[in-house]
Amino acid sequence: MVIGLNEPTPIDQIVESCRRGEADGFRVLYEAYKDKVYSIALYFFHGDQAAASDASQQVFLKLMRGISKFRGESGFATWLYRMVVNTCMDSARREKPRLPVEMGGMRTPAGQEDVIAEGERAQSIQAALSELPPKLRVAVLLRYFEDLSYEEMAQAMGCSMGTVASRLNRGHKLLKKKLEGMQ
Amino acid sequence: MNRRDEIRETLRGLPLAKAPDSQWGSIEREFAKPQPRRWRLAWMAWASAATIVIVAIGAVVYWRASLGVIQTDASSTARIAIGNIGTVELEPNTRVRMEVSKPNEQRLRLEHGEIRANVSAPPRLFFVDTPASTAVDLGCAYSMKTDKAGDGMLRVTLGWVSLEWAGRESLVPAHAMCRTRPKIGPGTPYFEDASPGLSDALAKFDFESGGVVDLGVVLSEARVRDTLTLWHLLSRTEGAERERVFDRIVELTSLPYGVTREKALSLDATTLKHWKEELAWKW
Repeated sequence: MVIGLNEPTPIDQIVESCRRGEADGFRVLYEAYKDKVYSIALYFFHGDQAAASDASQQVFLKLMRGISKFRGESGFATWLYRMVVNTCMDSARREKPRLPVEMGGMRTPAGQEDVIAEGERAQSIQAALSELPPKLRVAVLLRYFEDLSYEEMAQAMGCSMGTVASRLNRGHKLLKKKLEGMQ
Repeated sequence: MNRRDEIRETLRGLPLAKAPDSQWGSIEREFAKPQPRRWRLAWMAWASAATIVIVAIGAVVYWRASLGVIQTDASSTARIAIGNIGTVELEPNTRVRMEVSKPNEQRLRLEHGEIRANVSAPPRLFFVDTPASTAVDLGCAYSMKTDKAGDGMLRVTLGWVSLEWAGRESLVPAHAMCRTRPKIGPGTPYFEDASPGLSDALAKFDFESGGVVDLGVVLSEARVRDTLTLWHLLSRTEGAERERVFDRIVELTSLPYGVTREKALSLDATTLKHWKEELAWKW
């Protein structure tokens, strides 16, 4: 099950049950968001599955230990994405830059030549994405992979909407430059 | 599709990766473990609590001194620190009331006069209520002016402000402005360099029961950048008028991938949001 950002009440009810200490609720939240959280981390960490899995585990542990701090001022998903951003950024600060890793274990479109070409283009963009500075990379991922609005991104990234726009703009320019360099 | 669109669409199409099956087990095991170095965490919590108390005492003293009303006369100005997120300057002949000062909400009421706010914070922490609307800071610098009758004007110099009243919302970016009137709320935002014809017609359309003629002036005077105004007008018009607004936007800018006429005219929220954010590159 994958739940979108604007999913209405059920998630709120589950969150409420978690806050009351009902353990089953955490499993439901995990199932709802595990692939999204893992995917962001995977793209953030250049396809490094071990790093992505480690970051995802940390995010869900933080969620389970800190659910009482969630006061519902922003949406639950925004709160969760903020933990994802912080965890990824903290890990990026701690670790040395790594070389891009071949994306493994992911669904790729099967089929004809144009699909293969599309797959190649996607790979180039992923490679270029992995070379962006972490702050720009996370902005681009939240915007286009998660489809968050500028306001939701600002809340998740703990900055102003102007900063979000500026990081996205810089991210675009750098991606374009890197892609041109790859051709 | 240009290169920027291509990048966006490819990123949007990146596949969702499946989290490893073993992950939940690891999380459960880790969660069951006692948290290490509790004494250190407790000390850190105590230290940060102490810091917060010290800051809070300072804040209480400051806000107690300023709680209630601050008023400037014709020859004075004032400057208020809004927690640690920014400042508000009061122009002469301005009266503001401090309403809320909490870590997650800072709220002023501008009764009359003009303020200049400069805030750097995540969205929706700082609010300015006026008789006609609430300016919701989305991380920005702006001025807000209101007269004693409650008629107001917002001008944004940096970032974005959302001007809201009773479910009506105008999103105002840098270098744009927006009028507001009591019992009507925010008008339609427009850029400072929009033509006087557009600005006047918009005022009539928003606040003086303006109709087809004024809308026609707005549409004919609109430039690419004025799609800010036109995008807001989509949800403030109906039927044939909405279609005219839609057609004019499409005439000025091409329809982005993912936006269809049908969905835009039916005010599909996701479509409008997506379209706005695509148009915003040109604002």
